[in-house]
Amino acid sequence: MVVIGGALVVGATVAVLGACVLLVLLVVAVRARRQLRQRRDEMLLSPLRPPLITVAAGEDDDGTAVHTLRRAAGDSRTVLDRNIVGLLTKIRGVPAEQLVGVLEKHGAVHAAARELTSRSTVRRARAAQVLGLARAGDTVPLLVRALDDEAVEVRNSAAYALGLIGDAAAAGPVLSAIGHPERGLPAATAAETLQSMGVGISEVLRAGLHDAHPRTRMVAAHLSGERSFTRGLPDLRHLLDHDADVTVRETCAAAIGRLGRAEDVEVLARHTGQDEPLSLRRACTTALGELGDPAAVPALAGLLVDPDPRLAELAATALLGLGPRGREALVAHEDGPAVRSARLMASLQRASA
Amino acid sequence: MSALAGDPDASPVRVLVADDDADIRDLVEFKLTQAGYAVEAVADGIGAWEAFAANPPQLAVLDVMMPGLSGIDVLRKIRESEFASVPVLLLSAKSRDSDVDTGFEVGADDYVIKPFSPRELLHRVNGMLARAR
Repeated sequence: MVVIGGALVVGATVAVLGACVLLVLLVVAVRARRQLRQRRDEMLLSPLRPPLITVAAGEDDDGTAVHTLRRAAGDSRTVLDRNIVGLLTKIRGVPAEQLVGVLEKHGAVHAAARELTSRSTVRRARAAQVLGLARAGDTVPLLVRALDDEAVEVRNSAAYALGLIGDAAAAGPVLSAIGHPERGLPAATAAETLQSMGVGISEVLRAGLHDAHPRTRMVAAHLSGERSFTRGLPDLRHLLDHDADVTVRETCAAAIGRLGRAEDVEVLARHTGQDEPLSLRRACTTALGELGDPAAVPALAGLLVDPDPRLAELAATALLGLGPRGREALVAHEDGPAVRSARLMASLQRASA
Repeated sequence: MSALAGDPDASPVRVLVADDDADIRDLVEFKLTQAGYAVEAVADGIGAWEAFAANPPQLAVLDVMMPGLSGIDVLRKIRESEFASVPVLLLSAKSRDSDVDTGFEVGADDYVIKPFSPRELLHRVNGMLARAR
C-alpha cells in the first residue's frame, strides 16, 4: 500500500515537473520566434529606413526618398507598410500625406478595406485602423458597417477610424451604435469620435437627445454642451425636467451650465431642492456657477446652509466665481465650513496655477 | 531659419533629443540636424538626464513617457539644476488638458502633442531658441 502511494506521488511529481519544463520551453520558443522575426523585419527594413525617415521628417525635397519607398516589393514592402502605419499615428501634415500615398501605391489601403471582412478579429481591427490613418473617406460605409462587428475591438477601431476621417455623415450611425443591445459602442469611444467630426453633427446630436437609450441621450447632451450647440437648449431643458434617467439629467444640467443663458438660472435652481436626487442637486449647483450670471447668486446663497456639506461647498465655490455679488453673499457665512473649504480650495488652485 | 543662420562661423546650437520611440528619435534628430543643429539623441529618461548633466545643451526636446525617468521627471531635475534656464519642449502623445497643464506647471516652455508636424516642431524649436538668446 505504502509502495503504491509512493509511486503515485513520484508519478504526479514527474508529471508536474514535465508540464513545467514544457511550459518553459514553449515560452522560450515563442520569445525566440518573436526575436527572430523582429531581426528579420529590421534587416528587411534597414535599406528603406533612411528614405522612410527622410520622408517622415518632411525633408524629401526632390522626391527621391518617396520614390524609393514606392518601389519597395515583396517582404520588404510588407514590413515597410507596417512601419508606415505605425508612423502615421505619430506624425501629421505633408509627410503623413506622402506616406499615405506610398501605402496607396502598394495597395495596402485597398487590402485593408478587404480585410474588414477577415475571419480574424485582429486583422479586422487593424484594417479599420489603417483605413482611418489613411483618411480613406471612400471607405466610410464599410467602417460604419464595422460598427456592428461582433468584436468590441473592431467596433472601437472602426469608430476611431471614423473619427480620424471626420466625415459628419457617419455621426448618426456612431451615436446609434451606443445603444445597440448586444454590440454597443462604449459611450466614451463614441463621444471621442463625434468630437472629431466638426459642426456638421449638431442636428444628429439634437436627434440623439430623443433616443430611446439613456447612454445615447447622455452622450448627445454632453457633446451639445462641449461643442456649444445652443440649438439643443430647449431639448436639454426638457430632459433635465423629465428624463427618467438621473445621469442623463445630470449631464443636461452640466450642458446647460456650459451653454449659459440667464433664463436657465431658474431652470437649474428648481432642481437643487431637497426633493431631488442628491447627485442631480450637486450637478445643478455646479451648473449654476458655470452659467456665470450674477442672477444665480440668490439661489446659490440659499444653498450655503444645505444639510449636504458637499453641496454647500459647491455653492460657495460657485459664488466665489460670480464676482463681487457672489463674494458679498458669502460674507454672512464666512465662518461656516462650506465657505472656509471653498476658499481653501480656491487658494490651492491659485497657488498651483 | 537654421541653427547657423546669421553667423556661419558660429558652432552649431546643441539640442538634446530624448525619446524611447526609435522612429520619433531618428526623425527629430534628422529634422534638426538638417536644419543645422548639433543633436544628441538618447532613448530613455536616465540617459537624458545623464547627457544633460554631462554637457548641458542649449535646448532639450523630451518625450513624456519614457522608461526609467519620465520626461516630466527629467524636466523637474533640469529646473532644479544650475542650468534651469535651458528651454525645454515636451513632445507627447498625452493630449488631455491636465497632461498639458502638468507639463507647463513643471516648467516646460512648449508642449507638442503627437501626432505632430515635424515642420511645426522645427519652427517651435527655432522660436524658443530665438527668444532665449
